[in-house]
Amino acid sequence: MVQNLAYALVQVIHNLGAVAVVGVPVCVLIHTCGDLAVSRRAAWVVLVAWAAQAASGATFGAVSYYFYARPPDLHAIALAALFVKVACAVAGFSLTALCLIMGRRAAPFFAGTKLWRVLAGLGLTAITAAAVLRWFA
Amino acid sequence: MNIKGLIYLWVLLLSAGIAHAQEGSVTILSPLEGAQIMGGQGPHTLDYKVDPGPNGDHVHVYVDEAEVDILRELEGSFPLKGLTPGAHAICIKVVNKAHTPIGVERCVNVIASMRPGGMGKSSSPMPGY
Repeated sequence: MVQNLAYALVQVIHNLGAVAVVGVPVCVLIHTCGDLAVSRRAAWVVLVAWAAQAASGATFGAVSYYFYARPPDLHAIALAALFVKVACAVAGFSLTALCLIMGRRAAPFFAGTKLWRVLAGLGLTAITAAAVLRWFA
Repeated sequence: MNIKGLIYLWVLLLSAGIAHAQEGSVTILSPLEGAQIMGGQGPHTLDYKVDPGPNGDHVHVYVDEAEVDILRELEGSFPLKGLTPGAHAICIKVVNKAHTPIGVERCVNVIASMRPGGMGKSSSPMPGY
């Protein structure tokens, strides 16, 4: 009961993060192209979302470790999917953080579509890998 | 034994039964411990029956500690293919929804051969697990 609750709470964060890393870039592409202020705020949301994804993903392992003193057992296919997810999280977080740190110099990226297409692609890839990880583990 | 003693014994047995049911269990019906089985493409199956208990969800199959498949049926047969000649440990572990082994597991040690009942030796092992 307690462990299911723990997993469920972590899953809530993970799911919300997944929605944001895909949904926010897609929303920016559809609705706010060119609006720098809105795009920058959206980038902050994406940054927090990728951080939440990474933290909640690690917490899944931590919950398993807390209850059974070992991490989940993953099949080679699932391990590859996990690697893809981690790579997407690192790339998504780094790219967003870099653009936010660059300030005004990143304005063309925020206003254009290239950054948001890449971020949406990373989010979609991560979600696809998550499905493989879930069912091939 | 008086009535009070009988009730005490009944409660004790009941609680032991509940404790056992909560732990879950794995039964490997075939192959048996120490069995000699056909290697390569078989034919041989891992016949099993699992009670996942309250914390278990499904099972993982391992050959020599490497996970080879996921089984979501709690009773059935799994084809043992690609075993190289020699000794192998075949294990079934109950895992939770997060794929973490919960400590309910069973292993059997078998010897795979290239001929039924014999110990085949091969200089080039067949592709296996």
